[in-house]
Amino acid sequence: MVSQTEQLLLALMIGVIMLGMGASLTWRDFRRAFKRPQAILIGFASQYGFMPLIGFLLAVTLNLPPALAIGLILIASMPGGSTSNIFTYFSKGDLALSVSMTTFSTLAAFVMTPLAIFIYGSRFITSEISVGMGSVISGLVVMLIPVLIGMFIRRRNANVGAVLEMMGGILGVVIILALIALWVPRNAGLLAETSWQVYVAAIGIGAFGFLFGFIASFSARLGLRRAATISLETGIQNGPLALSIVLLSFSGPIADQIVFIPVLYSLFIVIISSIVTIFYRRMNERLEQRSVTLL
Amino acid sequence: MTRSVSDETSSRQLDAQTETSTPVRLPAQHLAELVSQTCARYTRQHAFTAVLPNGMFGNLSFTQVAELSDQVAVYLREGLGLAAGDRIAVQLPNSLSYPLWAFGTLKAGCVLVNMNPLYTAPEMVHQLNDSGARVLVIVDLFADKLPAVLAQSKVEHVVLVRITDLFPALIGFIAYNVMKYWNRIIPPCSVAVTSGIEALARGATLMRERNVDPATYTAGLGPSTLAALQYTGGTTGVSKGAMLSHGNLLANVAQIEDRVAGSVQHGKETALAVLPLYHIFAFTANLLYFFHAGARNILVASPRPLSNLQRAFENYPISWVPGVNTLFNGLLNEEWFRDYPPPQLKGSIAGGTALHTAVAERWQEVTGTPVVEGYGLTESSPVVTLNPSAGYRTGSIGQPVIGTQVRLLDPLGDPVGSGEAGELAVQGPQVMLGYWQQPTETTKVLRDGWLLTGDIAVWDSDNFLRVVDRKKDLILVSGFNVYPNEVEDCIAKLPGVSEVAVVGIPDSRAGEQVKAYLVLKPGVSLSAEQVREHCRQSLTTYKIPRQVEFRSELPKTNVGKVLRRALRDAEKQRIHEESAVAVEGGSRG
Repeated sequence: MVSQTEQLLLALMIGVIMLGMGASLTWRDFRRAFKRPQAILIGFASQYGFMPLIGFLLAVTLNLPPALAIGLILIASMPGGSTSNIFTYFSKGDLALSVSMTTFSTLAAFVMTPLAIFIYGSRFITSEISVGMGSVISGLVVMLIPVLIGMFIRRRNANVGAVLEMMGGILGVVIILALIALWVPRNAGLLAETSWQVYVAAIGIGAFGFLFGFIASFSARLGLRRAATISLETGIQNGPLALSIVLLSFSGPIADQIVFIPVLYSLFIVIISSIVTIFYRRMNERLEQRSVTLL
Repeated sequence: MTRSVSDETSSRQLDAQTETSTPVRLPAQHLAELVSQTCARYTRQHAFTAVLPNGMFGNLSFTQVAELSDQVAVYLREGLGLAAGDRIAVQLPNSLSYPLWAFGTLKAGCVLVNMNPLYTAPEMVHQLNDSGARVLVIVDLFADKLPAVLAQSKVEHVVLVRITDLFPALIGFIAYNVMKYWNRIIPPCSVAVTSGIEALARGATLMRERNVDPATYTAGLGPSTLAALQYTGGTTGVSKGAMLSHGNLLANVAQIEDRVAGSVQHGKETALAVLPLYHIFAFTANLLYFFHAGARNILVASPRPLSNLQRAFENYPISWVPGVNTLFNGLLNEEWFRDYPPPQLKGSIAGGTALHTAVAERWQEVTGTPVVEGYGLTESSPVVTLNPSAGYRTGSIGQPVIGTQVRLLDPLGDPVGSGEAGELAVQGPQVMLGYWQQPTETTKVLRDGWLLTGDIAVWDSDNFLRVVDRKKDLILVSGFNVYPNEVEDCIAKLPGVSEVAVVGIPDSRAGEQVKAYLVLKPGVSLSAEQVREHCRQSLTTYKIPRQVEFRSELPKTNVGKVLRRALRDAEKQRIHEESAVAVEGGSRG
């Protein structure tokens, strides 16, 4: 369902883009993110408290077959994906907060993901789900090493950093579009056969995540920019990690069924994230415009 | 400071009381010499670094500044055939080209005419014709104004400069093309021009071929020679060129040096140049003083939005920030700045307009360093008074700088009694020669060597001065004087207020009444009554604003001074329209 080329593109995308992201960051950005731990805590709560719950509720109300329900709960219980950093960057959000949250929720995934699946998934399936250490660690490494390299380069030479940042942004857009263009035609038949309930589940989980993340952090008076960042972080899950967990824990036709919603989610999240990002970017630019009039 | 504060203040007080002026030792005979000496002293150190909002940068060392500004001088004299005293209009935002063309003009023995890049075509035409500029150096961002301007002026040559000129080649190429094709802010240029880079190359070639020594151009220069026409009066009426001599500007450099000596370490400072260099404040503070002190000037072309400054603060160890109230206030409202104030910052200098006490106190609290206020005018190059960095006073514009005498005059021109407010008059080596070709305007402000500033001030103890307000901004409520600054300062202390302006508006009973315009911080709501209640705690009744209007922004000049006049005019216009409607209604009834 996901070809080798696509996986390679995905890894390449994350590497190149995170290098560019890193080149836009300094240590003080991270220190600033940790100055307000409530932002990270709220992100954590919406990531592992709200998301698995809404996944479970969607599965029950839409009356999904057990294999699909497990896929939905699985994707809902994932840590934040590094794609959230890219969309946060494009939306002019708080990138350091986004990277910190992704790192934090990924490290917590060893405990929180199996726990959430145990709580909400036991109704649908009895077998054990294991989260592969290897895939989580390698996911983090693929994300963080380029960030560190990017930060180091910017420190050494801001000009090279700025070029990397620009290239990361451009390539990010190109690769996201390429992924959609590759995936959709090849899976068009499959998409046509899929029931509306499955669409509602795959699209709804991300959309509810965006909404809840925003409302929760805005109510906690974190400000619009951080609310937008936490919103993206909550709604965007680590899709590739979900795929590797399914392949590690299941096999045969059941694996294909379980993996269906995570794959469908990964496709649509790119599209709705793009829309939400445009909206947040306008909002963040308006916030910047307010400061224009100061001088 | 090596001397104790009390010694210094008492000796200065003596100066003012006896009015014996201490002679100011000029650091050089003319500005070209100052530039050459400075470049020879600091050679390979960074002199200027231009930083774009995304962090891309270009550097010029002191040696490069020396060589490239020589090329500009040779281009002007040999390439264009200009003579000493010819005027060159330089209309550039803060960029690597600005110091080269400003210094090059001075090295050519020509007169620098600083021009605001945001000027409209008619404003440009006025200034070009008034100054008689033969050359216009303009940034490509505004090349679309050229056809209209050139048709109506006597400019013979146009040099077109890019913001990214002199950046590393690849970086300049990328940044330029992003601006041109992605941001689309560079209009096509339809008139014949020489590019900034071509002009430099031509200057270099001519210097080699004709074997010229640019030092010969400045042989006839001295302290009394005209160096710059600095246009002013944009906020009061028609724009006039203040004639600043080499001696005026050099004296001001020496006067600033005298006041900050000890806190500025020569060759080791990094100064932020975010105020436009074409404005007299940044021109003297950054381009002349900090340059002379061997500091690295960080040039930022546009502070709008203020996030444009983030990379500059992150990437460079900024130790000095010359700014205006709105800049300090704006930075304090930026979360990235508050969370991580510049760690190497030593001090900030406020000028241009009154610094609100609330802003000064918060700046000290957030950055742990003082923002000291000074006072000056275009006509005085500009610094007249400045607080010492040790023993400074919030709310005061400080003490007159060395060699400067200050008097406070009543409306008849006689000195006021002690402790009374009067119009500030200045005498000193930094006071301009006069207005360019405007003898009547000159006699209005220059009387017997004293410059009348139009600002009302009062002496505090120990020779410290406090500006109460602009003479023309004074509000007369039933015969009582209300100084807008005092009311603004009070309202600015109210939490949630981002900006405030206070003006007098016509009132049938009281003659005038106080009106306050407020800009609130995002997400804050305040009622007019809450504002008045806050004022009642510290102001007498007649000073309390009768009207309070909430706005999303305030009209400002290009350096961020609030335009009270624009607010007053809009108010008068509104009252006029309302009465017209009332008359109309009456005739119908």
